[in-house]
Amino acid sequence: MRVEPTRVQDWTSRSVGTAWRAFDIQLTIYAALLACVGLAMAYSNSAENGGDILVAGATFTRGLLWAGIAIVVFILATAFDYKWLKTFAWPLYFVNLGLLASSLFIGDGAGGSARWVSIFGLQFQFSELAKILMIVVLANYLTARWGRLDSLSAILGACLLVVPAWILVMLQPDLGTSLVFAAVLAGMLFMSGANLRWLGALALLVVAAIPVAWTYILRDYQKQRLISFLDPAADPQGSGYQLLQSQIAVGSGGMTGKGLTNGTQNGLDFLPVQTTDFVFAILGEELGFIGAMIVFLLFIALIWRLLVDAWRSRDPFGLLFGSGLASMVLFQLVVNVGMVIGIMPITGIPLPFITHGGASLISLAMGLGIMQSINIRQTRAEW
Amino acid sequence: MSVLSGERPASDRSILRFIAFGVAVIIGVGALTTRLAFLQIAHSGQYAELSDRNRSVLQAIPSSRGLIFDRAGRPLVTNVPSFAVKIRPADLPLSQRDAVLTRLGGLLQMDPSDINTEIDSNPGSRFDLVRIAQDVPEATARLIAEAHLELPGVEVVVEARREYADGPMFSQIVGYTGPVTAEQLPKLKDVGYLPDDMIGRTGVEAVYEEQLRGAYGAETVERDASGRKIQVLETVRPARAGDSLMLTIDVREQALAQRALEWGMAEAGLKRGVVIVMNPQTGEILAMVSLPTYDNNLFARGISQSDFDGLLKDPDQPLLNHAIAEQYPPGSTYKLVAGTGGLADKLITADTRLDTKPYLTIGPYKYVEWNNRGWGPLSIKEGFGHSSDTFFYQVAGMLGIDRLGWWAQQYGFGSRTGIDLSGEAAGIVPTNQWKLDTFGQAIFPGEVYQAGIGQGFDVVTPIQLLNAYCAMANGGRLLQPRVVREVIGPDGTVVEPFEPTLIHKLPASSKVLRTMREAARTVVTIRHTYNLADLPIKVAGKSGTAEFGLRDSKGRLPFHSWFVGFVPKDPYKDDFSKGDSELAVLAFAYDSRTKGNVATEIVKYYMQLHFGIKKDYRNVGLLERGNFYQSN
Repeated sequence: MRVEPTRVQDWTSRSVGTAWRAFDIQLTIYAALLACVGLAMAYSNSAENGGDILVAGATFTRGLLWAGIAIVVFILATAFDYKWLKTFAWPLYFVNLGLLASSLFIGDGAGGSARWVSIFGLQFQFSELAKILMIVVLANYLTARWGRLDSLSAILGACLLVVPAWILVMLQPDLGTSLVFAAVLAGMLFMSGANLRWLGALALLVVAAIPVAWTYILRDYQKQRLISFLDPAADPQGSGYQLLQSQIAVGSGGMTGKGLTNGTQNGLDFLPVQTTDFVFAILGEELGFIGAMIVFLLFIALIWRLLVDAWRSRDPFGLLFGSGLASMVLFQLVVNVGMVIGIMPITGIPLPFITHGGASLISLAMGLGIMQSINIRQTRAEW
Repeated sequence: MSVLSGERPASDRSILRFIAFGVAVIIGVGALTTRLAFLQIAHSGQYAELSDRNRSVLQAIPSSRGLIFDRAGRPLVTNVPSFAVKIRPADLPLSQRDAVLTRLGGLLQMDPSDINTEIDSNPGSRFDLVRIAQDVPEATARLIAEAHLELPGVEVVVEARREYADGPMFSQIVGYTGPVTAEQLPKLKDVGYLPDDMIGRTGVEAVYEEQLRGAYGAETVERDASGRKIQVLETVRPARAGDSLMLTIDVREQALAQRALEWGMAEAGLKRGVVIVMNPQTGEILAMVSLPTYDNNLFARGISQSDFDGLLKDPDQPLLNHAIAEQYPPGSTYKLVAGTGGLADKLITADTRLDTKPYLTIGPYKYVEWNNRGWGPLSIKEGFGHSSDTFFYQVAGMLGIDRLGWWAQQYGFGSRTGIDLSGEAAGIVPTNQWKLDTFGQAIFPGEVYQAGIGQGFDVVTPIQLLNAYCAMANGGRLLQPRVVREVIGPDGTVVEPFEPTLIHKLPASSKVLRTMREAARTVVTIRHTYNLADLPIKVAGKSGTAEFGLRDSKGRLPFHSWFVGFVPKDPYKDDFSKGDSELAVLAFAYDSRTKGNVATEIVKYYMQLHFGIKKDYRNVGLLERGNFYQSN
């Protein structure tokens, strides 16, 4: 582990104003707007379920609470010097594996409880945090091998880093998170400038491994969900039910939507897990095509800002971290929305910022905070 | 700048890979946008419709089924609220089906595989309710209703169940309601039946289904995903309650008839028997008892497969109304046909005397008199009174098979009476053409003889036979027998008033019919029916002993016993000169083999009960069972 005292001195020698100019305000705004959309959906859900919206335990109340915690986490992560992450990369890695492993044991009986005090103890939430930690670990690993990334060994090394975590989430089993790990790894390797031929060969290997995974790794219900998206009508009440219902919800929204809280699919509970992985179905129903486009534009803008920050970062760690975060957000956006609108199989992947759930939002806030920490702790590269 | 020197320059990084990443973003989001545009712009209307259909369903409003009363207004059926458990298969996710059915089976104490069978044999679509259990105890119904979140697709419905008063006594007439079957559904759907609907299956419940049912209404309701009604959006049309029926049946007469029949059957060790009481002036059935019977409440509550199998496998067919649905050889009661035909066709007169002998011969065959002796020359009244076979062989021979058959048809044999009950049999009247069509050969002369005494190919239903005698007793009007007197609207007004329905008038003069009535009276006065003559009332009638089946080792055949009797309007004073009888009774004892005619004893006992005759004239000694063939 290397500590870089000179850099800290550099940063402290600069005026506070310069540092804050380096803070990417746009990135924060886009993220905040997306989180607001998420809160709006939570509000809609609470309003439709009747009763007081601001009552303790209601979806919207919990959403507000999570948002508050997320802001605190974001500020803390921004203030925290990201370079310490490099120092603690390996301990972080093992903490990460420990969290994933422990969720395997704790996760069983505790399932379903979503009270905000019990964030520690939910496997779902550990894996959200694990995604960010994995990006940190990978960024650190690849930064250390900067310039030598043409070699196969660096690529394989990165893969080996991911494999234990990947196995742990597959054991949960959490196909979604394991896919996010793979996407993050691929995105970061690609952006690190790794040799394309090796990457291509690796991709081929993965494709070749799919039949093996299908036979030996995937459970029956996972296969069923993967297949059902191809033909949801084959079993409209079984695994295809949610797909059909979510497409009905989205399609019935039309151009302008039915208006917030007016979705009937949502209000009458036709859509199970409407606030979690399938929240986009309600968004499509209530806010329509236009609302969905605005959300897409916010995501594009957010990813763009992450890429800009990555580009600007003089520290390869910043480049890699930004790329990893961008890969994660893009992948989750495409897979989650694709699943809701029937062009992707069902895998439990949340929609960043919008899916209701504290761990996802807090992990993203932490990721964005780290990004901002990177932004303000180095002299800008010329753009 | 020194800070830059230690790091690789920004230009080091590959702009191409950033561009490639950007392209990936555009492709990814572009694909999502394209699909969204397909769903939300191109096909929005279609999905909006699906969403509406999800939300609102057109639901039937059941109408309250009409009631059934006896002729004095005593209720024979009431509607009582009961809980039914139903499943809408479309709302039961396949993945949860086993768990839900196991849980439901535990609550209902049903085998989950039976529930599975019910769902799979569901006549409607996946979106229609399937009836799983009827008449569920309230506590169970509440448990299921409260667990609706864990039991997706399961619904508890409050509906009206038929509760039959004295079920076994009236089941053959009233019938019962049962679930619509898959075969019936396609036709019934068009007239507003639901796949989980109940329909009258037999008896007047079936025949008057349309009147009793009324008309279901319809309403659009908003429902949630588990199918629960949230609110009524619109009543499309209100339900119209069904009409009620007032039967011609008198509960009191029915009880007396059943008592008489049960007594006779118990004394003679019979397994099946029928008693019908009818008013010859109107065709109204006052009582109709067919034993063995069954409890129609079993069906109303949702009969179990084992109970149903038990009823189906019973050799004495309790589900069958033997009074109308089964046909038997009429035996000597059928001599009415030859007698009327011979007189009306003027082949004989009331005074013509025919010689009765031990037997008649045709070629090598002997046609014997039942007492193997004969009585010498007899008039028709005496011949009928003694039930002489050789007398009626000769009359039948004079008429010929086709004319005999024609007279039988005039009396209504060979075709359904049209009684308002389901499952009536038509009987058979043999003619030359019938024999040619059925057996490919003409009638033999001997078969004409046998037809004359009701032992040929002729078979009749008890209701046909009673109705024929009623036509004779009322002076020549063949009426349509009926069990429903009036149809009454929900507000109590008479929708269909009672009027006797004439099938046709007998083409026989009143003089001929009077002769036949007096001949029937002779049966009693000549003591062919023993002490029936001693009753303080005047009864006329005809007994019959109808052989059937196979001869035993001693060459004897088993036989059924018949008796049809009627009394004049005032049975204490009047004679049979007028066709004014208002009471005719038929008794039929299946496979009786008693020393005397058990049917006659049953009718006698009924008459005693009906007229309140204190003295008991029953001859228990005649009901000894054996294989006797004594009288005709």
